[in-house]
Amino acid sequence: MHAPVKPSQSPTYRAPGIGLVLRLAIRDLRAGLRGFGIFIACLALGVMTIAAVASASRGLTEGLAREGRRILGGDAAFSLIHREATPPELAFLTARGTVSSIATMRGMANAGEKGAALVEIKAVDAAYPSIGTVETDPQAPLPGLLSQRDGAYGAVADPVLFGRLDLKPGDIVTVGGAKIQLRANLVSEPDKIAAGVGFGPRLLMSQDALRATGLIQPGSLIRWTYRLQLPQTATSDAELEKVIADAGTQQRDAGWEIRSRANAAPSFQRNLERFTQFLTLVGLTALLVGGVGVANAVRRFVEAKKLDFATMKAVGAAGGRVVAIHLTEVMLVAAIGTGVGLLLGAAAPFGLGAIVQSILPVPFEPTLAPGELAIAALYGLLTAFVFAIIPLGRAHDISVSALFRDKVEPDPRHPRAIYLVLCALALAGLAGVAIGFAYERRIALIYIGVMFGVFLLLRAVSLGLMALARRIPRPRRPALRMALANSHRPGALTPALVLSLGLGVALLSALSFIDVSLTRQLTGALPDKAPSFFFLDVPSRDSERFDAFLAAERPGAKTERVPMMRGRIVSVNQTRAEDIKASEQSAWVLDGDRGITYAAALPEGSRVAAGEWWPADYRGEPLVSFDAQNAAGIGLKIGDRLTVNVLGRNITARVANFRTVDWRSFGINFVMVFSPNTFAGAPHTNLATVATSPDGKGATDAALMRRLALDFPAVTAVRVKDALEAVNTIVAQLAMAIRGASGLAIAASLLVLGGALAAGQRARLYDAMILKTLGATRRFILSSYALEYAAIGFVAAVFGVLAGTAAGWGIVTQVMRIEFVSDPRGAILVATAAVGVTVLFGLIGTIKILTKAPASHLRNL
Amino acid sequence: MSEKAVSAIELQDVHLSLGRGAARVHILKGVSVSLTDGEATGLVGPSGSGKSTLLMTMAGLERPDSGLVKVAGQDLGALDEDGLAIFRGRHIGIVFQSFHLVPTMTARENVALPLELAGHPDAFARAEAELRNVGLGHRMDHYPAQLSGGEQQRVAIARAVAPDPAILVADEPTGNLDESTGRAIVDLIFALKRERGATLVLVTHDLSLAALCERTIRLRSGVIEAEAEAETVVA
Repeated sequence: MHAPVKPSQSPTYRAPGIGLVLRLAIRDLRAGLRGFGIFIACLALGVMTIAAVASASRGLTEGLAREGRRILGGDAAFSLIHREATPPELAFLTARGTVSSIATMRGMANAGEKGAALVEIKAVDAAYPSIGTVETDPQAPLPGLLSQRDGAYGAVADPVLFGRLDLKPGDIVTVGGAKIQLRANLVSEPDKIAAGVGFGPRLLMSQDALRATGLIQPGSLIRWTYRLQLPQTATSDAELEKVIADAGTQQRDAGWEIRSRANAAPSFQRNLERFTQFLTLVGLTALLVGGVGVANAVRRFVEAKKLDFATMKAVGAAGGRVVAIHLTEVMLVAAIGTGVGLLLGAAAPFGLGAIVQSILPVPFEPTLAPGELAIAALYGLLTAFVFAIIPLGRAHDISVSALFRDKVEPDPRHPRAIYLVLCALALAGLAGVAIGFAYERRIALIYIGVMFGVFLLLRAVSLGLMALARRIPRPRRPALRMALANSHRPGALTPALVLSLGLGVALLSALSFIDVSLTRQLTGALPDKAPSFFFLDVPSRDSERFDAFLAAERPGAKTERVPMMRGRIVSVNQTRAEDIKASEQSAWVLDGDRGITYAAALPEGSRVAAGEWWPADYRGEPLVSFDAQNAAGIGLKIGDRLTVNVLGRNITARVANFRTVDWRSFGINFVMVFSPNTFAGAPHTNLATVATSPDGKGATDAALMRRLALDFPAVTAVRVKDALEAVNTIVAQLAMAIRGASGLAIAASLLVLGGALAAGQRARLYDAMILKTLGATRRFILSSYALEYAAIGFVAAVFGVLAGTAAGWGIVTQVMRIEFVSDPRGAILVATAAVGVTVLFGLIGTIKILTKAPASHLRNL
Repeated sequence: MSEKAVSAIELQDVHLSLGRGAARVHILKGVSVSLTDGEATGLVGPSGSGKSTLLMTMAGLERPDSGLVKVAGQDLGALDEDGLAIFRGRHIGIVFQSFHLVPTMTARENVALPLELAGHPDAFARAEAELRNVGLGHRMDHYPAQLSGGEQQRVAIARAVAPDPAILVADEPTGNLDESTGRAIVDLIFALKRERGATLVLVTHDLSLAALCERTIRLRSGVIEAEAEAETVVA
């Protein structure tokens, strides 16, 4: 017989610790994951989205970094606007390695009767491409394709140009004053991404051909880029950085924009990071929606385990220990869900690599990104903790006396303070991760505020709905009475349905409003006053003739013409531009060259917000007017001294005033407008616009472009519709990705909804069987449940639409800064579908119940 | 704290009500009783008389609205919920009518659970010894669902006595068992009580079972109606 040992006399007695908690949690898990299906699926979906987005983004970033030299065409690129490098500048570069150059500008390709089209000209030297290869169709050596033959220079063009002008290889177009023979389709160019997004198809020609066009005029918008390849003996990052630093100090006045192989496509990289953040937030939405499923699953877990919890307490486990054991168990299950999500998310870029590669003109190599996957895992585990701790915390005070009675007392309404604090800490951690790893923290902060608000609203709605259902008089119709009672009884589905459905509807409504607003912004009817064309590089000497041309082509139409140059901000006061800490929204102003102009009077569509506009005949020190919003973004004050580099010269002007600019007017406006005396005598071209004639009698767009190409071959016409369509194509591709990620959030929402309804089926089963025993028909029972589901679904959908509208409005007006289009059709469709889905999901389970004889179920109840 | 005081359980003027508002019921109405160390006491009475509630109060599972509850010299009112749980784990073994084994644990793990929670390094060895002691040495790795009702109750008894508690309480321990199995379980409980010198409190409807106790307390409507030596109890 075993000899009893008194606990107090046990020589090795010690307080059990984390080891025991883990052991008991694992022991309990041996029973399997039954009841955790929705829990795991919800976490896996959210984590998968975040992991997939992060992994794909990493693949693109690494592709950019690895292929930096190829994209840039060298180890470093030095670009100048308006002008070629001076001999000393060129000498500086050639002393440090092999130099090749390209020139890029916009121009018009005129195919006579077939029309004219805007082209993005790229003029290369004999060394091009110094890294990588150009693929053409038919494939042939580039020098031959670009050479001068029979009085015409050769060129290769994007197939889009052939299609647009109905041309075939061998046909001749006129660009400026030169005949250019299009000899092949341009299939790919190694440095395409570095040039950014163009409005027209690429036309690749030699620099001799470009010179022959006559488009290179003083002040024309041409960019010369010099690519430097370091010698084999000096290719280290340190040596590259030294060259770049020397370029800044020894050629201080060059005003060139320098990119290194490590930063080959900064604009693309920035957009990639911004888009990655957006998709990550959509993924986080999926996770938070799934969190409701996690909470529901844990609540059911606690419900099913109440007697076990009480038993553990009866044999000596403190409430905190019971919670710790089962929290550990839940977190182990969360780790499984997170693991599944990570696996799928990490694998997605490998599976979808071909699609990503076909959409984006950048090298993409699927890669395993441990850091990004760790963050996705952190999101998953923190979400699980946030949603699990409150229902589990309620188990702390489960009464052991339940073991002596048939029913367990209801949960305490509020868990102990420690669990609320733990939940708040985890929530803060989740917000911290979202903000800490965000590209734009302001947006992450707005997102967190919106999500918090939506959760609170829907929670308040569910509580309000239940309170209302309790208070309104009982209807006479039994089915209605039962539906009403079911909506507020203990364990009612109302809170779970309102949250899961409301979140899903809110998300879809917000996306619908964003979609509508963005589409309207890009493709909607342009206002009458909006120009239909922008004309670049209108020579100053031809400006009056050009005005007359437009007046003849578009009688009565509004036209505008302003001088235009390009210039880079070099410094503000004594601070160099690269050292200025600008806001995310205004960083672009300091990044590269910007269009600048001068004016005697305040431009149309502008209003002076601070300071004063200069007199029309002002002759004093150079003054500049700055866009108010961007001035705030870069910390500019009235009276500051701003230095810009224009045409290789540094010019310093005093900030005289700030303007608010209505960019949506489609009029000509600039961030920086200088006093006219600043650029007196400087060579420049003009930027002009023309709208359609009020009576519609003016020349058609096509006719205007044809005649323009004949009369002003050096002037480039950008059709606003074409430009918007180019942007719209990109937006459509982005929207696809957003819809894909959002689809997963909706899937999470449906999972939660289905899970909540399935969990309610046991109570429904009992009710239905009792009702059938008492003589209720199936029609009666079904109509009662349908009424309940429809009522809850309707309220959840209405408030989901309201929350989604508010969120959509916030994103459209505050983040995207475009006009909010209040077209509710999409949201109403979403809400209607949501109510339908709720009733359908609910009744599917009930119908299954009602097909069985009551006895078979009542025996098991 | 004294492990075994002369008065193992002492209740003075204990009042207890359950429920809220209109549903609130006054269950124990000024109960005072003192149970001697090592004594077996049967609590009998009609349904709703308050005998299970009295048992739970003695085991520290219910807190009285007023009055004093002392178990093994410890004033239970001075302990918080967690303190009560730890106290129970060390000093009170509980046998339930519905066994209440943890379904995801084997017989061995169920018996080892209170020992593990109390930090005993030899929890499993002791659990095995206790299971052999109740005749289940061959069923140690079986889950509750794989055991008969009688076997489950034996596991529950082994679990209750494993920490060697000073007090053993049992709530209708044979209520869910057939007659012969029930008799075997009763014999086992009394054998273990004698073997370990524990104080036993037994709630039962079965007067023949109550007759095995040295003392019987009869409750009616929350008050002690009669106290008697076993042989003088009347139905």
